[in-house]
Amino acid sequence: MKANPFIPAGTVAEMITVLGRWTLGAVFIYTGWHKALAPVDFLKLLRGYDLPPVPWVLNSIAGVLPWFEMLCGLLLLSGVAVRGTALILELLLVSFTWLVLRRAWVLSSALNLPFCAVKFDCGCGTGAVWVCRKLVENILLMLLAGGLLTGRGRRFCLRFGLVSAKD
Amino acid sequence: MKLRQSPGLASAAAPPPASARGLFLETVLVALIGLIFGFSANKLSPRGLVLNRDYFPPPPKAAAGADFSALAPARQMAAELKAQGLRAIDLSQARQLFNLARLSNHAVIFLDARGEREYAAGHIPLAWEFDPYQPEKFFPLVLPVCQAAKQIVVYCHGGDCDDSVSAARLLRDVGVPNAKLLIFTGGMAEWTAHGLPVETGGHPGGAVRPAEK
Repeated sequence: MKANPFIPAGTVAEMITVLGRWTLGAVFIYTGWHKALAPVDFLKLLRGYDLPPVPWVLNSIAGVLPWFEMLCGLLLLSGVAVRGTALILELLLVSFTWLVLRRAWVLSSALNLPFCAVKFDCGCGTGAVWVCRKLVENILLMLLAGGLLTGRGRRFCLRFGLVSAKD
Repeated sequence: MKLRQSPGLASAAAPPPASARGLFLETVLVALIGLIFGFSANKLSPRGLVLNRDYFPPPPKAAAGADFSALAPARQMAAELKAQGLRAIDLSQARQLFNLARLSNHAVIFLDARGEREYAAGHIPLAWEFDPYQPEKFFPLVLPVCQAAKQIVVYCHGGDCDDSVSAARLLRDVGVPNAKLLIFTGGMAEWTAHGLPVETGGHPGGAVRPAEK
């Protein structure tokens, strides 16, 4: 396929990455907002993940994480500290995916269900979900965050690099 | 044909090499700002969590040697509640008490131990909202009513939900006598499954949907 001579090389990839940045930002604002509206519900769901049963650890995660996610979403939407934010979200997504995978595995064994037939509220801010669908969604979000780490998606940014404008 | 590229597009086509140190610093900075923002927002939010509170205290230990596992689920729950000094009631008893609650002036009251949204979406008519995870918010309104009442029916979703038990234990801790406290174990799920009346919105003054015949 011949390249379109009217669109400079790299522009399409750049625009896709910008759209990816906005999508990732919007997703984290939406899920963070839902969790921030009902932190006690989020706290109850966290109990199912075998995290350390220390009240202040669980309470801090349930109380702070939704707002943290929303801030990261806002930074991505406005294009501030994009790569640093993308790296944080990448790390969060990897952790969330691992926890969801582990919990789904336990449920699948306990209920004697095929893995993809497991549906539960993972505390992800979107209610009860089929586990395989959730894992695919998370992988797509991880790809979007990974795309931003490459340094693309600079258009429509207030300040792409927070420490140095060149980064 | 040769196209002239704008500087912005040129940089888009070839992003400058990333600096690992800059990325690390930026990540730490965003994480710090995010944590400060998160803790502050949680503190300021009316729905924020109290970080050092144990929202799920373990139930008091049953008498030594007590084993309820051989009993049917409903009887097992009743036995577990009895071991904690609480009494379980079933749907027919809850209905009788509901009829009394409608006639009596706060002699029999219902407490809804679910969250704010669930309460607003639909609760047993005349039930008071009492979220055991935000007791300080509801005590000023609910405690005087509980102290004046002769019987208090506490319920949550039903099934394996234990928020009604948490609410009852909280009330007991602040001096409401055990003998007044009754746990409707079927909860809202059993109530609505039988087409009984449901009130939406706040109390008092919510809209009541009558029982389905």
